[in-house]
Amino acid sequence: MTFAPSQRMAAASAFIGLLANFLFCPPPARADDAEAREIMTKVEERDDGDNRTTSMTMLLIDKHGKERVRKIRTHLKDKGEDVLKLMFFLHPPDVKDAGFLTYDYDDPEKDDDQWLYLPALKKTKRIASTDKSKSFMGSDFSYSDMTSRNLEDYDFRIVKTQAVGKWNTWIIEAVPKNEDVIDETGYTKSLLFVRQDNHVVIRAVHFVKEGNRLKYMDVKKLDLIDNVWVPTEVHMTTKKGNVTFHKTILRHQDVKFGQDLDESFLSVRRLEKGL
Amino acid sequence: MRGFTPILALGVLVVLVSSLPADELSDVLDGFDDDTELVSTNETEIFKPSRCELDGSVGLSTAYNYAHGHPAPGETDYRGFSRLRGRLELGMDLRLPLEWKARVGGHGYYDAIYSLHGRDAYRDAVLDAHEDEVELDEAYLQGAVTDSLDLKVGRQIVVWGKSDTIRVTDVLNPLDRREPGMVDIEYLRLPVGMTRLDYHVGTWNLTALFIHEPRFSKTPPFGSDFYVSDSEPPHEAEPGMSWENTQYGVALSGIVGKWDIAFHMASVFDDEGHVEVDPVSAAMERHHARVLMAGAASSLAAGNWLFKAELAWLDGLEYSADPHDSRSRVDVLGGVEYRGITDTVISLEAANRHIMGYDEEMGNAPDNAQEDEFQAALRLTRDCWHDTLRLRYLLRVFGTDGGDGGFQRFWAEYDVTDVVKLTAGIVDYRSGDMPPYDTIGDNDRVFAELRYSF
Repeated sequence: MTFAPSQRMAAASAFIGLLANFLFCPPPARADDAEAREIMTKVEERDDGDNRTTSMTMLLIDKHGKERVRKIRTHLKDKGEDVLKLMFFLHPPDVKDAGFLTYDYDDPEKDDDQWLYLPALKKTKRIASTDKSKSFMGSDFSYSDMTSRNLEDYDFRIVKTQAVGKWNTWIIEAVPKNEDVIDETGYTKSLLFVRQDNHVVIRAVHFVKEGNRLKYMDVKKLDLIDNVWVPTEVHMTTKKGNVTFHKTILRHQDVKFGQDLDESFLSVRRLEKGL
Repeated sequence: MRGFTPILALGVLVVLVSSLPADELSDVLDGFDDDTELVSTNETEIFKPSRCELDGSVGLSTAYNYAHGHPAPGETDYRGFSRLRGRLELGMDLRLPLEWKARVGGHGYYDAIYSLHGRDAYRDAVLDAHEDEVELDEAYLQGAVTDSLDLKVGRQIVVWGKSDTIRVTDVLNPLDRREPGMVDIEYLRLPVGMTRLDYHVGTWNLTALFIHEPRFSKTPPFGSDFYVSDSEPPHEAEPGMSWENTQYGVALSGIVGKWDIAFHMASVFDDEGHVEVDPVSAAMERHHARVLMAGAASSLAAGNWLFKAELAWLDGLEYSADPHDSRSRVDVLGGVEYRGITDTVISLEAANRHIMGYDEEMGNAPDNAQEDEFQAALRLTRDCWHDTLRLRYLLRVFGTDGGDGGFQRFWAEYDVTDVVKLTAGIVDYRSGDMPPYDTIGDNDRVFAELRYSF
C-alpha cells in the first residue's frame, strides 16, 4: 500500500506536531514527587481544630440560574485519627430535622460508618456505601470533598507555582494510585493549589470520571479562627469546556472550636433526638 | 499504512505519557470564574434555634382511575377522577428549658371529588373515610430525665426493625391501609399515645414502652373500590383505653462494628383482628386478640451492601375458623440493599409468615389466612439533576410465584423550588388469588400532587 502525497504530508505533519508536543510539554508524570508529598503532608497535618460546630449554607445554582438553598448545622469531633461528624438539616422544609451521622475512619481499610435519620420514616437507617462520589445534598460537592483524603492513595507532583491573588501557591497534581480510589471519589485526577505561607488548599480542579467534566473549587473567603484557617466561603463549579453546568456556593458561619462536644453527643441517640 | 503506524503509535504514546500538555493545563486553569480575592470577614450568622417553630405543608392531590370497567347496577362508578384533595399539615415545636422539647402536629383534608361526582353516588362509609378528615398526629413531650435516661410521652411513632417495606418486628403503630399503594410513606404510620423510656449505655439502648392508646389500622371502607367484600364489615369491638388494655414493649438495640442489632418483645393487640359470631344472636363482631411478639432484627454493612434480617414469633393469634384456640406464627425476613451505583439505591426484601397448627378452614373468609404467606418487595430509587428529581419504583408481590397479587408503583418527585414539590406517578395493581388483590386488580390509577412546605 502506498500513500498519496497529501497523506504523506499529513503523516509528516502529525509526526512533527507530536515531536514538538513531546519536546515542549511538561515532563510526564513521575510516580511520586517527594517534595510534593512533603507539601501535602503539611497540608494534612495542618491544625484543623477540634470539637467544632458550624452552620453551613449552600446555595445551589443550576445552569438556568435557578437557585436552591440548603442549611445544615454540623458538629465535628476528632477521636484519635478518626473524625465523628453529626449534621442536622434545617432547610428546605421537607428535609428539616433529618440528620446524618458519620464516623470517618482514618484507616483506609475500614469503611466509614454512616447513619441517616429520616423524620418522614421516623427511623434511623444505616447507610452502607463506599461510593463518596455522590453529590452531597444535590450540591457540586461530593461526599469525598467533605472528608479528608488518604495521602497514601495518591501520587503527587508539583506542576508549577502560580500566584493566586497576592498569594503564592504550588499547583500539585494528585493522581489516584488505583481504580478503587477513582471509583470511590469519582475523580481521575486533581490539581490542588496549596498556599505556600500556610499550606491551605485554596483552589482545586477535579477531573470527574463521569461525563468528562471538571469541577473547580475556589476558596473565596479564608478566616483565621482560634488559630485555625477556615475556608468560610467556597465555590464549587462543574464545567465542561466553557459551559457551566452547576455551581454551589458553600458558606460556613458561626464557626466555633473547642465546644463541649462529648463523644456521646455524636451518636444515634442525638441523631434521633435532633437539635 | 506500515510507515504511518509507528508515527501514530508514538503520538499515542506521547499523549498518554504527557500528564497534561501545557495548552491543556492553561485551558484547565483558565476555567476559574475570576480571580480569587482572599479576604477575611467578620460576617457571621449565629445559629440560634427559636423557642417556637411552626412547620407544615399545603397540598393539592388528584388521582385518575383508568382501568375500571363499567360498574354493575347499584355500584359506585369509580372510573375517571377519584381524588381532588386539599390537605393541610401543621406542626409546632417548642423548645423548653433543660433541652426538653414538645411537639404538636395535626392534619386535615377535604376531598372535593365526592361533591363534584355527587355525594349520593357513594356509600356513607366511603364519605366518612375519604371525604374529609381532621386528626391529631404526633403530640409529645420529650427530654432527658438523667444523662442516660430519655423520656417521651404522648402520641408518637416508634418503628422497630431494619426492613424498609415489609413489616415483621414493626408491630407498634397501625397503618393507613385504606388505599394500598397510594399512601405516602410519611403518612403511612399512625401515631399512638404511649410513654417511652430509653436508657443508654455506650452504643446500647434499652427501651421500655407503655402503649396507652389502642389504635388499629385504617382499612378500606365498605363501598370503596379497595373493599374486598359485597357485605358490610362486622362491628369492630375496639378495646378502650384502660390500665388493663395498656400494651407493652421492650427493646434492646445496639451497634457492634458494622452490625446493628435489636431484640424486641411486645404484648400488643393483633392489628388484623378476627371475627367472632355471637352464639345467641349470630351477630358478627371483629375482635383484636392480645398477642405476644418476640423478635430480633439485624443489619450488616459490607461495602456498598447492607444485609438485613428479621425474625418474629407471635403467640396468641386468634382466627374465626377456630375461635377457641389460639395460634402461633413465625415471620422471617431477609433483605439486601445495594448503593454501589452513584445516586441509586436498590433494595430487595422477602418474608414468609408461617402459621403453626394451621387448619384448612382458616383459608376461608373471613380469615383468608394461608399456612405460609410469602411476600417480596423491590424498591429502586434514583436521584437526578442534583437531587432536583427523584425517581422511585416499588414492586410488592404476594405468593412465591406472585400469584396472590400485588402492585407496582412508579413515581417521580420534582422540586419546583425549595418549598414546592410536584409528585406524579402510576400504580398498577396485579390481580391475585388472595384478598384484597382478588378484587382490586383493575384499580390502576395515575396520581399527582403539588405541595408547598414551610
